[in-house]
Amino acid sequence: MIPPPSLEIAVLVLGMVILMLEAFAERIDKRILAFATIGALIAVLIGTWFLAPSPAQEQATGFWSFYTADPLSIFFKRFALLTTILVLIMMIDYAPVVLASIPSTKKQTGLGEFFAIPIFTCAGLMYLVSAIDFIFIFVSLELVTISFYVLVSFTRHNPATLEAGVKYLVLSALSTAFLVYGITWIFGVTGQTNLQRITAALANPEIERGPALFGMVLVLVALGFKIAAVPFQIWVPDVYQGAPTPVTAYLSVGSKAAGFVVLLRVLRPFLMLPQMERLIVLIALLTLLYGNLAALPQSNLKRLLAYSSIAHAGYLLIGVACFDGPAVTFYLVAYLLMTLLSFAVLVIVAQQTGEEISDFDGLAKRSPFLAFAMLIAMASLAGVPLTAGFFGKFFIFYAAIAQRQTALVVVGVITVACGFYYYLKVVRAMYWQPAAKVDNISVNVLSRLAMSALIVAIVWLGIYPAPILEALRR
Amino acid sequence: MLREYLPVLLQIIVAIGFAASALLVSIVVGKTGKRTGAKDSAYECGMVPQGEGQSRFSVRFYLVAMLFILFDLEIVFMYPWAVVYKEAIAQSSLVFWSMLSFISILMVGYVYALKKGALDWKK
Repeated sequence: MIPPPSLEIAVLVLGMVILMLEAFAERIDKRILAFATIGALIAVLIGTWFLAPSPAQEQATGFWSFYTADPLSIFFKRFALLTTILVLIMMIDYAPVVLASIPSTKKQTGLGEFFAIPIFTCAGLMYLVSAIDFIFIFVSLELVTISFYVLVSFTRHNPATLEAGVKYLVLSALSTAFLVYGITWIFGVTGQTNLQRITAALANPEIERGPALFGMVLVLVALGFKIAAVPFQIWVPDVYQGAPTPVTAYLSVGSKAAGFVVLLRVLRPFLMLPQMERLIVLIALLTLLYGNLAALPQSNLKRLLAYSSIAHAGYLLIGVACFDGPAVTFYLVAYLLMTLLSFAVLVIVAQQTGEEISDFDGLAKRSPFLAFAMLIAMASLAGVPLTAGFFGKFFIFYAAIAQRQTALVVVGVITVACGFYYYLKVVRAMYWQPAAKVDNISVNVLSRLAMSALIVAIVWLGIYPAPILEALRR
Repeated sequence: MLREYLPVLLQIIVAIGFAASALLVSIVVGKTGKRTGAKDSAYECGMVPQGEGQSRFSVRFYLVAMLFILFDLEIVFMYPWAVVYKEAIAQSSLVFWSMLSFISILMVGYVYALKKGALDWKK
């Protein structure tokens, strides 16, 4: 058995090795670094099955009182690794765009870093899902965020990317300030930063609830920024549109999933306070309405996916409001599969034609495989039965009905209908519009393999979700 | 508990009140002189300003300053470490290995910066 923190350390060392290779091995094709990284991360992913898990939920491991290796965290470590591997595959496809954006006399300048930085993000995500202490949550969240600053503004000679980078930097730094300020309030009241000890401290009736609640609201602001919940969503459309496409995919899956895991952990001590639940229900309602309604008139696919990411944060928040961990986790898995699939298609098509929905006209004729992959992704995002997205929404609404959250269910179902319109707009462009160009789009073997795996996973989970549910209930 | 903060509230009210009244009185009582080009210039009775207010300088200054802070800060961690080192090493070698891993992470960063020419001013 492997002691838990060694996997994160392995990922960090891998990142440093790749960085050194990038600095010293100047002659090699930099894509070799990406392939080496993918191979090493797959090895780490296999390693997660040999981890020695903590026996109880949120129990600290060894002398690290701030670190847990409970089943939830191990599940999300696999989630982070899988996301990073798929994003790296996308990045290999995206490499020509990065190279074109960096004017340099040297060959392949900057490509090595483009492949190396996601490794550090991945290590940050792996630490974050294991964190049960506010200080450790803060530090690992910063590791994730700071590496995203670099990634978001990577193709900085493009004005849109520069704008995205600045917006992300300023607003993210602001949200971090909220997080730290919230932590100080909670620490001021309870005298603890460890989540379990905070739970114990808040159970004491003599403690002042008001300031603790205020601190929690401030923490919620910071996490709301990470998961793109209304009213902290202003940055999402511009940053998602301006950032390099694989980074957008990474932001919308990795950053969001980590935000939700932290939210589930951090909320637990505060659940006995009834105000908290009402607040989250309100945020969920606003997020659902804003995300779905604002997505309706979009004509740029990347922007559409940005608003769709806000809308999905709304569905996930329904699950958080009902505090149904397994439902949220299943939804996140489905979200990972369908979002990464749609971005993978977008990366390839955008290099041929563009990012507008009209650029997808007649894709079914030019590349039946890509069109089919996009069809499955869009159907799953909309929640069509026999796809993973359907069961994700089903479990969320089931939890909401069991908790008698009528308002959430009603608004949720109406906005799902809304979603059908804008997701199927893309399908219509692909299958019913004539193509402007007729040449075929070629897809390399690795991407084709990854996309096929994602399609199979989406359909499989849509028909037979039992295995993943079993893994979650345990 | 909230009563303890009453002086703070009073101070805020006094501060806002003072600033507002000073502005108000100067508008009501004060006289406005004739506006001329000389009156509206940045330094009414000083030298005529030349050139731009914020001159441009090389972005390398930021790079070097940032790297300096990064590698300078490690000393902050090493001082307390050196103070407790003798007692801690008697119990376990963990204190040695944790500092070694910290230094080696920094070392990777330093070698990378050096190799990429971040410290080479002419490049």
